[in-house]
Amino acid sequence: MKKVLVVDDAGTVRMYYRKLLEEAGFEVHEAVNGLEALEKAMLTDYDLYIVDINMPQLDGYSFLQRLRGSEEFKQSPVMMVSTESEEQDKEKAFALGANFYLFKPVKPVEFIKYCKLLTGVSYE
Amino acid sequence: MPIKKQEEKEEKLVEIEQERRRFQRDFEGLLKQLSCGTPTERRWAARDLADYKEASKPLLDQLLKEEDISVREAIISSLLKIGDEIAIQGLIECLRSDDAHLRNSAIEALKIIPEKVESHIEKLLKDEDPDVRIFAVNILESLRHPKVIQWLIEVLEKDENVNVCGTALDLLAEVGTEEAVSAIKKAKERFKDEPYIQFAADVALRRINAGSNSC
Amino acid sequence: MLGQTVVRQGSDFVAFSKDEDIIITDEDFEKFADFFYRKTGIRFDESKRYFVDRRLIERIKATGHKCFKNYFTFLRFEASGKELQNLINALTVNETYFFREEYQLQSMVKRMLPEIVSRKKPGELIKIWSIPCSTGEEPYSIAIYLLEYWKDIDRWDVEIIASDIDTNVLEKAKKGIYSERSIKNLPNHILLKYFAPLGNGEYQISEDLRNSIEFTKVNIVDPKETKRYRGFDIVFCRNLLIYFDDLSRKIAAENLYDAMNPGGFICLGHSESMSRITPIFKVRKFPEAIVYQKPLEEKDK
Repeated sequence: MKKVLVVDDAGTVRMYYRKLLEEAGFEVHEAVNGLEALEKAMLTDYDLYIVDINMPQLDGYSFLQRLRGSEEFKQSPVMMVSTESEEQDKEKAFALGANFYLFKPVKPVEFIKYCKLLTGVSYE
Repeated sequence: MPIKKQEEKEEKLVEIEQERRRFQRDFEGLLKQLSCGTPTERRWAARDLADYKEASKPLLDQLLKEEDISVREAIISSLLKIGDEIAIQGLIECLRSDDAHLRNSAIEALKIIPEKVESHIEKLLKDEDPDVRIFAVNILESLRHPKVIQWLIEVLEKDENVNVCGTALDLLAEVGTEEAVSAIKKAKERFKDEPYIQFAADVALRRINAGSNSC
Repeated sequence: MLGQTVVRQGSDFVAFSKDEDIIITDEDFEKFADFFYRKTGIRFDESKRYFVDRRLIERIKATGHKCFKNYFTFLRFEASGKELQNLINALTVNETYFFREEYQLQSMVKRMLPEIVSRKKPGELIKIWSIPCSTGEEPYSIAIYLLEYWKDIDRWDVEIIASDIDTNVLEKAKKGIYSERSIKNLPNHILLKYFAPLGNGEYQISEDLRNSIEFTKVNIVDPKETKRYRGFDIVFCRNLLIYFDDLSRKIAAENLYDAMNPGGFICLGHSESMSRITPIFKVRKFPEAIVYQKPLEEKDK
């Protein structure tokens, strides 16, 4: 089973992603901010990180920077999902090494489609 | 025994004091150190400036250009300790920053001193920038104010931005009361094509309705 | 069954306390668990339901409330944050004893110290801070571990400072007298080597060890007190920060940062995480434990 780490400070958002991802056959773990996400990343091999940008302690961009800064995580797929909707936000995310970027709120079909794509799960 | 108490305590303390007097520890000296020193010196200056009420503005100025995360956090701690109107206004302005870390540190800081933000909150909830409105709802989470539920209800009834409403629903899942039920249903209606809103609204309703009743 | 009856009510399992019907519904539990996870990083799932419900009900009654809903509002908004601290206390196990969280001590001798000494010149001192030291089990454990398990202990001088805000526990720590409960995890050869039985079921730690540790009173949240503490290579700050309010936690962590050498390590309690405190430390994963590190280089402007 592919493992996904959902990183968002809003409990309801994490619940929502969990529901969609579990229905699609993923194993879901959670973190409330980028720092907790880094700790979890060190303990478990995740196939995909879904990361909000605005979070306390460590925001999504800073998380991405620290993650990509380590050899171990250079190839880990990261999807940013955010309310930040300017083109420059998207560009910044890709410049820091994100693999994908979705605007909030996500639409279920599209969200799962890209999660499957990023984890190499065939899209049926 | 390789584990030993160190006897030269007094000399050590003198050494530390001398080192810290490399710059004058008065206000002017601290300001200089805040902008010109090494990261360690800047951090010490930020800490010591917490004792000076006039330091809010220079601390805020430095915050906007400071790149070292430990210095930023020290500046914020000092701004929180000073806690005057200049500090609060300055932190509120940081909500608009392009720098994600600065924005989010500012939200966390404002959540630590909610009583000081109360007078600004209504205006922030009506800010023309939806991101600022989202952050204002975030701050409501730590605000002990009789109008919090009412403010959340207004967001659900009137705010046009789906993510502002989503943030309000997330908070209502934790603090929602009977009072908010009709506004939640209204939000479901207004955003009937948004699956996340439907989901979040249902969570809040479920928690309000099936939670233990008041006594 | 300990005064509790668990029955099914519709699709909910609810726990009734014996004398009053304070109910924690599934929704209440979910709401509470989310809140607690957000604040502390500790997750309670359904398997912990009974444990949590019981303690919640205790706290609800202890604070004079008659239902979860009113208690939760009180909990969320109490200005001092004291009830949250009481609740955390009730929900976490906080016993002190020798070799508690031994995996961190292992990490200290196997990973942290080798890295630290690789950056030191011969003859340089290694400084370790145990704060809060409480009744001394932790700093003495550190000392014993170094003497017994650190292969390079004879090549370096180590200074251990043990601090607490409470002078009563500091006095006890200096006396070094412990009950069987405290020493229960110690291998026998260590007990024999470093402790003397006092006959009444108590043991006293050797005079050498008692004299080798410096005990001091410190308020970790007051930078004026902590600024005298500098140059630490390892800090053990276990099961303290979790009990602080958000601001005190942040300030305490920053004070510890200031007290540390670049590259120094800090260990928190097993259910604590910097993710609820501050982003200024680097996360380091060792095979035995996750610890935090003050960044090495200080990039100048």
